[in-house]
Amino acid sequence: MTKRGKALAGFALAAVLLNLVPTLVEATDSPGFYITFMFTAFFWISQAVSWNILTGYSGYFSFGQGAWFGIGVYTTGILAVKHEWPFLLALPVAGILAGVAGLVLGMVVFRLRKLGGEIFALTTLAVAFVLASVARLYSFIDGGRGIFMTSTPLPEFLGDFRTAMFRMTFVVAFLTLLAAYLIFESRIGWGLFAIRDDEQVAHGLGVPVFRYKMLALGTNAFFSGLMGGVWALQIGFVTVDDVFNIRVPLFVILMSVLGGMKHWMGPAVGAVIIYTLTDRLNSAGLEDVNQIIIGGLLIVLVLAVREGIYLRLRARWKLALATFLAALSVWTLADLGSSVIWDFAYASLLTVGVTLIPTRARRRTEVRSEGPPVAVDEEASTDRGPG
Amino acid sequence: MNEVLNQAIVSGLLIGGLYAVMSVGISLTWGALKIINLAHFSFILLGAYATYQVSNSLEIDPLLALLFVLPAGFLAGVILQIFFEFAKVDEFQSLIISFGLFIILQSITRTLWTADFRRIDGANNPYESMSFFIGDIAVQVAPLLAFAAATGIAIGMHLLLTRSYFGKAVRAIVDDPEIARAYGIDVRRVAVILSGLATSFSAAAGVFIASYQSLTPNMSLGWFGIVFPVVILGGLGNAVGALGAGVIVGVAAGIATTQWGPLSAPLVTFLIMIAALLFRPQGLFTRQGSA
Repeated sequence: MTKRGKALAGFALAAVLLNLVPTLVEATDSPGFYITFMFTAFFWISQAVSWNILTGYSGYFSFGQGAWFGIGVYTTGILAVKHEWPFLLALPVAGILAGVAGLVLGMVVFRLRKLGGEIFALTTLAVAFVLASVARLYSFIDGGRGIFMTSTPLPEFLGDFRTAMFRMTFVVAFLTLLAAYLIFESRIGWGLFAIRDDEQVAHGLGVPVFRYKMLALGTNAFFSGLMGGVWALQIGFVTVDDVFNIRVPLFVILMSVLGGMKHWMGPAVGAVIIYTLTDRLNSAGLEDVNQIIIGGLLIVLVLAVREGIYLRLRARWKLALATFLAALSVWTLADLGSSVIWDFAYASLLTVGVTLIPTRARRRTEVRSEGPPVAVDEEASTDRGPG
Repeated sequence: MNEVLNQAIVSGLLIGGLYAVMSVGISLTWGALKIINLAHFSFILLGAYATYQVSNSLEIDPLLALLFVLPAGFLAGVILQIFFEFAKVDEFQSLIISFGLFIILQSITRTLWTADFRRIDGANNPYESMSFFIGDIAVQVAPLLAFAAATGIAIGMHLLLTRSYFGKAVRAIVDDPEIARAYGIDVRRVAVILSGLATSFSAAAGVFIASYQSLTPNMSLGWFGIVFPVVILGGLGNAVGALGAGVIVGVAAGIATTQWGPLSAPLVTFLIMIAALLFRPQGLFTRQGSA
């Protein structure tokens, strides 16, 4: 079986397994918030992984995630509530509109030769603020009144609200991961990594720089908007302040930096860890310190774990897996945590801690065989090379 | 209608001075030190809250708070730059790190002063609604003072950068830090002092804001949409350009407010920024090739 075939089979298997989960949770009479926990994790996985398609692959740092997400939220809000479209019909429109908005921004900023990455970052930051003021200004979008999503009818076959959210977020997260994987393994991925390493050289070697960057930005915005469209239901009462704020961009950056931006899976791992951590902090009643911890983590991570946790985990996967399973079984059997989510949180924190213990051999054992072959010297391939 | 427009232009001109003070710190560190410091937004906010606190507790004129806020801001900038030098951050890392710092300081501000609106007690604050008339046009005193400060900073920084040894060193570092170091310039010391100056300007902006506006921690998010157009329009590291750009953005936002309502102002300033990026990415006030 080829590598791609294996990966696709793995994806399909994961899809089947995870869709059984709501049934399983129901059958074993476990609390419903397990499902809420999981679909919120799917939301963050999708946001972080889609962000990484642009920023991790091409190196163009984007603060625009909140804008794409917000477009998605408001699209389904307006279409499904104000115009009474069927929700599943409004959903793709959310993704497409966000994607188009991304492409329009790309048309402007990527045309500028002199535009550095920093200016791109700040332009994307400003986009969310502008969209927020537009949404407040026009009453056909929001006009300062907000949109109630709570009575949006959902199709019967999706099940009750929680199960429906689980299925929809799962499908979107799955598609995002698939897209991230396919781009990562394709010629387009190579092109984007070349742009990240040196755009001038990439251009000189015949990489269609503009088209690839547009594709990455469009894909990022599309999936972020699509998930935003689903997420409007979970928000319930959509307001400008709740949607166009700094939360989504902040968290996707944090998750991707933690997980590692040089591999398509990195942000997904980071998303699960960060989401579990903040969820547990909130449930322990520490909302106030939560932001301080998040900000502090961001600073420490940028300086300390430059290649991200995912590659570290993969290089030492036996140790990681053993630690995780041992910790999980000890906590579950000894009944230390008050729920499975607590057990999971402790076990993953411990695993991350163990794999972060520095060793001398780390540099040499770091996985370099995977990903597109980048013919550069050793130093560059451990520092910048994908995979 | 014409009077309304004239009023909008004058008010915009004055508030443009405030925008310039808010932006000049970010512009200087970005242009000269290659550090994009989002924490400046927190320093503006902290400067404003410190002024509020000092003025209310000691029952003094808010502008006297400058005596305390300027050195505190300078110190914060020095410490931050020492940290950046120690960690050897590049431009992107500085962006992410200062973003983390911004989140932390934002959260601390909210914890200390809550999310409620805070205002300096009217008894200590003569500037709150002080204004005079030129013809039919009202001139508010607080933004006028900020405008004077912006002019002072612009002239002072211009002279410092063009006429002093320190300025020569800064310009050398902008051109090539390695060569500057080779010629015996203490790059780290120059960077630390410049960062301190930049931060004290930002903190001073907070003093002017506190002297006539209500404070809430989330107001710092709204400044992003004003400060970045000013920084980019003015040209990185250009204090005089920041003043000119502040005035342009202020007047444009003022006109937009009277014509299409206050919510349209961010849209207009953002479009100005895009236009500036398209046609003059080096800034309106920067000659080709100069720092």
